[in-house]
Amino acid sequence: MFVILGRVLSSLGVLVAVSIVLFTLVHAIPVSPARVVLGGDASEEDIAEFERDNGLDRPVIVQYLSWAGGVMKGDLGRSLIDNTVIAVTISQTLPVTLELVLWSFCLALVIAVPLGVLSAYHEDRWIDHLARVVATLGVSIPTFWLGLMLIAWGAVGLGWFPAGGYVPWSAGAKPHLLSMTLPSVSLGLYYVAIISRMTRSSVGDVLMADHVRVSRAMGLSRGRILIYVLRNALSPVVTVAAMSFGYMFGWALIVEQVFTIPGMSRALLNAIFRRDYLVIVNVVLVITAMFLVANLIADLLYRWLDPRTAR
Amino acid sequence: MTDLNRRLLLKSAALAAGLDLIRIPGAFAQDGTLNIALPNNPSTLDPIQTSNHDAMAISNAIFENLLEVDLDGNVVPSLAHKLPVINDEATRFTFDLRDDVVFQNGAKFTAEDVKYSYEYMLDPKNRSVRRTLFAPIKEIVIESPTRIVFNLSQPYRPWLQYMTKFMGIFPKGSREAKGDDAFKLAPADLGTGPGVFVTWQPDSHIELKRNPNYWRKGVPAWSRVMARIVPEDATRLAYLMTGQAHIISSPPPRDFERLKTTPGIQTGSKVAIGGMWFMQTNTKRAPFDDVNFRKAVSCAIDRKSIAKDVFYGLLDATATPAPTGVSYYNAEADKAVGYDPEKAKAFLAKSKYADKAEFELLVPSIPYLFDAKDGALVMQSQLAKIGIQMKITPMEQPQILTRAIAGTQVACLLPLMAPSDPTFIIQICFTNNQIMSKSSGYTNPELDAAIQESYKYTDAARLDPVLKKIQAILVEDCPNIFLGFVGVANAWRAEVKGFKPNTGLTMWIRDVSLG
Repeated sequence: MFVILGRVLSSLGVLVAVSIVLFTLVHAIPVSPARVVLGGDASEEDIAEFERDNGLDRPVIVQYLSWAGGVMKGDLGRSLIDNTVIAVTISQTLPVTLELVLWSFCLALVIAVPLGVLSAYHEDRWIDHLARVVATLGVSIPTFWLGLMLIAWGAVGLGWFPAGGYVPWSAGAKPHLLSMTLPSVSLGLYYVAIISRMTRSSVGDVLMADHVRVSRAMGLSRGRILIYVLRNALSPVVTVAAMSFGYMFGWALIVEQVFTIPGMSRALLNAIFRRDYLVIVNVVLVITAMFLVANLIADLLYRWLDPRTAR
Repeated sequence: MTDLNRRLLLKSAALAAGLDLIRIPGAFAQDGTLNIALPNNPSTLDPIQTSNHDAMAISNAIFENLLEVDLDGNVVPSLAHKLPVINDEATRFTFDLRDDVVFQNGAKFTAEDVKYSYEYMLDPKNRSVRRTLFAPIKEIVIESPTRIVFNLSQPYRPWLQYMTKFMGIFPKGSREAKGDDAFKLAPADLGTGPGVFVTWQPDSHIELKRNPNYWRKGVPAWSRVMARIVPEDATRLAYLMTGQAHIISSPPPRDFERLKTTPGIQTGSKVAIGGMWFMQTNTKRAPFDDVNFRKAVSCAIDRKSIAKDVFYGLLDATATPAPTGVSYYNAEADKAVGYDPEKAKAFLAKSKYADKAEFELLVPSIPYLFDAKDGALVMQSQLAKIGIQMKITPMEQPQILTRAIAGTQVACLLPLMAPSDPTFIIQICFTNNQIMSKSSGYTNPELDAAIQESYKYTDAARLDPVLKKIQAILVEDCPNIFLGFVGVANAWRAEVKGFKPNTGLTMWIRDVSLG
């Protein structure tokens, strides 16, 4: 219990540190958001007035403390560009991105783990070669290009899927799932490659272990042996999967842009284009928090899979 | 094929048909919804603040002005009954207004609303981004509910063009009642236009519905507009191909030729007088403080090959601030600083930087209107052929503008979509106390006089000679490098009727119907 508490506290510390670094870096960008809001024709006086009105003329440390104080009270602030409430933006976009990442993550696990296990069990057989080809393609194909190819194939060619856009659940399960299929495949394929190779390597190592050999010699069933093997082999896979889950929020930025999905990553990209400081900081912090939560869950799973680590 | 495989295939087909997966329902809605795809996410829909041309495609369907640009590029009446009566000094503009217009909120449109809207925009404390463009408006006088007079401090021809694009009329008192945020984010029932604002989900879509009380009878033919924000070129194209969008703006140049022969797709492009692409060079900074160096750069760039090979014909290549197809195009001026490698070498040899011919060019890293990076790379190779080393520095457009406005850049590539007035860019770049004056560091009393003279004229007979003279002055001093004019391009599905590219906006949707 204390270990979990310690991990939560250290995660909070990381969040605070990230927020400070982010705030400093974002404010180091030379272009004022006032230029984006007021346009290229705005005079220097207009720019100064905008900055004064929005508190951008204050020292960065004062701006940070003011923002952090608001966050403690649940107020993430307002967008400098369109004055929207950032908490509302995040509450509207986070579920979209989270769903995309979860579908992609599930897709990656469902394909990668069995593929990795099979290729470890059948080393240098056709299934192993196939898994290697899938992995090589998965890590080699850029996500944005894969997305475009999937649109060309699945939407323009076959007409089975929409070319882009997000259809909410309220519009029906089928159109919703169709709208999420190509983006999820696009985002998940890279992690199929990573996780399947890690699974293969890890399962292959365990298969060589003495206890597996002894289990076989004792006549244990293949199913029972597989359970023992997985229990021992999955620890590194869980770690990689957790990292992948966090990284997916970053790659979602590309996928959401290609498939025009109004998720949080796309909101972040637009905020970067518009120099919307507060939106950038808040969204990146949410992504960081997701990353930390995923790693926390991985830690707990790790302890469950390998109780020695708890000791 | 074995029986097993055949059976499997048949089962799969039946399953797919059962699940209705063979083809998604046609996005060409039967309910009269017009789907359009725009690349940029608007930052505001407020008609006195919009600077993004995709946003204007929406805001100009909600708000209207006294005049508008028709599909052939002419300024025609809109909320005004006819074009204004102008006095001999061209300082008094009398507009007769339509008497049959009501706002979307049901209120009758009168001259009071026009005066209120313009005075609100002109008030410096309201920080309209386009206020300076209307600065010569000295006084607005209401003569009757349907007649209003604008008195200007000086002849100022371009302001009628600016009116078609940079302003919209809203009800008297609406700013105080609704607040600026309503205009910016949710301008429901605030305009007189054919589209009534319904919803805006940032990064996703903007929805308009038909204005049932619209003053033009039988217009619009659509019941709803769904404007999808699709920044990725290829995805926007896929939206068109799959029917998810009926009309798209800014089709990628490389695909434009192919689209022309694609069944079920129509295309159109028009050179926009305001769509200027140029290299803004700073005449106060080396090496562009030497006119010979500037001319060497200008003569070394083969604009026509860039237009053909990089922009696939969507760029009208010219070395002067005039499209080649307009009556005031000065061919001699174009030739004087147009592509000529030998002349370029001669100018470079005369330049004081002949031994150290190098400079840095800032290039927009994120496309605005079009992607300029490929064009910059071609220019780099063309300049290298005469011995000029150009270093390309990618930078975001706002950052480039900031530097240009401060006059700290050496050279930058600027694509702008200005109003269709021939002096707009020249005015803001090469006359004193303008927003881009420092970016060029160049002024010329002779040029100032010519620009002021041009403001007096609206007829081609008197205006064209002055505009040609302006081009000749600019070619002589070559304060920057003009590259060409960008065409407004659209692609749309064959079912769409009544649509043509409009040089005033990226997309004009009012008169579109679904066949």
